[in-house]
Amino acid sequence: MHNQIVQFLNNSVGGCNAVINAPVGAVGDQSITVNAANILEVCKALKASSEFEFNVLQVITGTDYPDKIEISYILASFSKNLEVILKANLPRGDKFNLPKINSVEAVWSAANFQERETYDMIGVEFVGHPDFRRILCPYDWDGHPLRKDYIVQEKYLDMVVDPPAKNNTDDQLFGKRLKEELGDPKRVSASWKDSSPGSDAAEATEAKDGE
Amino acid sequence: MSSHTNHDEANVDKIILGDQEVLKSDLLTLNMGPQHPATHGVLRVEIKTDSEIVVDAIPHLGYLHRCFEKHAENLDYRGVIPFVDRMDYLAAMSMEWGYALTVEKMLGTEVPKRAEYIRILVAELQRIASHLVFFGTYAIDIGAFTPFLYAFQDREEILRLFEELSGARMLYNYIWIGGVWNDISDSQLARITTFCDKFEIELQKYHNLVGENKIFIGRTANVGVITKEVAFDYGATGPVLRGSGVKWDLRKDRTYGMYERFEFDIPVGTGEKGTVGDCWDRYHVRILEMFESIKIIRQVLAGIEEGPVMGKVPKIIKVPAGEIYMRTECPRGELGYHLISDGGKTPYRLKVKSSCFTHVSILPAIAPGLMIADMVAAIGSIDIVLGEVDR
Repeated sequence: MHNQIVQFLNNSVGGCNAVINAPVGAVGDQSITVNAANILEVCKALKASSEFEFNVLQVITGTDYPDKIEISYILASFSKNLEVILKANLPRGDKFNLPKINSVEAVWSAANFQERETYDMIGVEFVGHPDFRRILCPYDWDGHPLRKDYIVQEKYLDMVVDPPAKNNTDDQLFGKRLKEELGDPKRVSASWKDSSPGSDAAEATEAKDGE
Repeated sequence: MSSHTNHDEANVDKIILGDQEVLKSDLLTLNMGPQHPATHGVLRVEIKTDSEIVVDAIPHLGYLHRCFEKHAENLDYRGVIPFVDRMDYLAAMSMEWGYALTVEKMLGTEVPKRAEYIRILVAELQRIASHLVFFGTYAIDIGAFTPFLYAFQDREEILRLFEELSGARMLYNYIWIGGVWNDISDSQLARITTFCDKFEIELQKYHNLVGENKIFIGRTANVGVITKEVAFDYGATGPVLRGSGVKWDLRKDRTYGMYERFEFDIPVGTGEKGTVGDCWDRYHVRILEMFESIKIIRQVLAGIEEGPVMGKVPKIIKVPAGEIYMRTECPRGELGYHLISDGGKTPYRLKVKSSCFTHVSILPAIAPGLMIADMVAAIGSIDIVLGEVDR
């Protein structure tokens, strides 16, 4: 199926340069990479083609790699029961110069929220989006959390983000202590006091008896 | 802050209501939520109204955003499961199953037969429990309080069973990679049989009480119509898509688990009380789905085999490099996991395709022209869980 799609794309959209990414190992899905500049034409062609009829946009997502940002468009056809992962590579850019790609909102309305989420999380600008702003983070948030080099801002609206006082250190220490004391992960029930010989509780009882 | 379409500028003088052209009054902006009982969580919808009529609805999300996807990048593959629970907390079993399937497919793990049966069993029970919450809360949205109590009584039995199985009432951490955590006992299976027999009769009663009620029909029929075209355009799935008359169910069309062994129908909206794709249709699809779930559960109970419940999984899970997109049919729609692995102990990227997130985006498309009270009916009928919307 992927071969046919690639052939179809290379024939109908000039210069989109579609290639198949074979799965790295023996398992996993194949995907198709196209030229980022042609993404809108590619999506239009895939939706309009009578052979594939990709009538549903499942999801748009981005992945941050050291040298690039990879945007994945997962398309599905409910009439032909197909599914394809379409990819476009973008440069990483920086905070003031986010990478840009054309919006596919005109092809599927579902792209509206998906592109906003991708922008919010990964930091990619979708050109031509009708209502372009963040969606999950606050509208004046700084940075894009799913970038691998993201560092959370220290202050948001004069409020300290992640203050040490709110850290549940007791819980972490408790977990650490459990791990040290009970090496066997199956023995994690800490609700009951251990009264076996040699334990704290047993010693306490003995001391009490001694008195 | 925002740059959405401003309706004050367009059509200053007149708007068209039905076939009448009336003078336009000033638009009133109304905030529905984030603390509103009818939004089922912390959803905020900014509604622009012209007297009682909604002109525009803009959902504002993110009040429950925990950035699950970032968490997942820092957890080992087993450690992700409890986080997955907290997305759709009303259908945690289905969330876990989807994730487990994704990782198992990459690992090539073979799941024992008994575990597969148990998974279908708990997933279908979860579907019933989740739809019962919909049934109860939707009736409250419409203005009937009693059905809520009935629904939660039956849901309680399912939750009690899950509590015995997993130790938790809502966030189970029960379906693990390679199988399920704990075996199910014969007495529990017998209890499910009794529950099914009882519940099937009760459910018909509930439907007669609520679904056939004249007021309920008046409030939901022909309200919030999502046509087939809109549903596809916005990528709707699950009961919302089926309510619009599309026969599409992953359990049949892209089968996973052992669903191909079982006989069941896919209910679709037919426009019985109004138009195809209205609120009543979506309600009815969910009711019928519960009957189908009972059918599946009965077949599972008849066919369940003895054996181990956990397959062979390495102690430290390292998923081979590559990517996979796996979707499953959850009570609220299709849940997809897009997993990218670089061969390490943690996912390199784990993207969740949430059906609720997609469904919220339909709101601006169906809201214009509704009354404010019908807006509540429309939001209730798409049945969103904000934990999954915001992740």
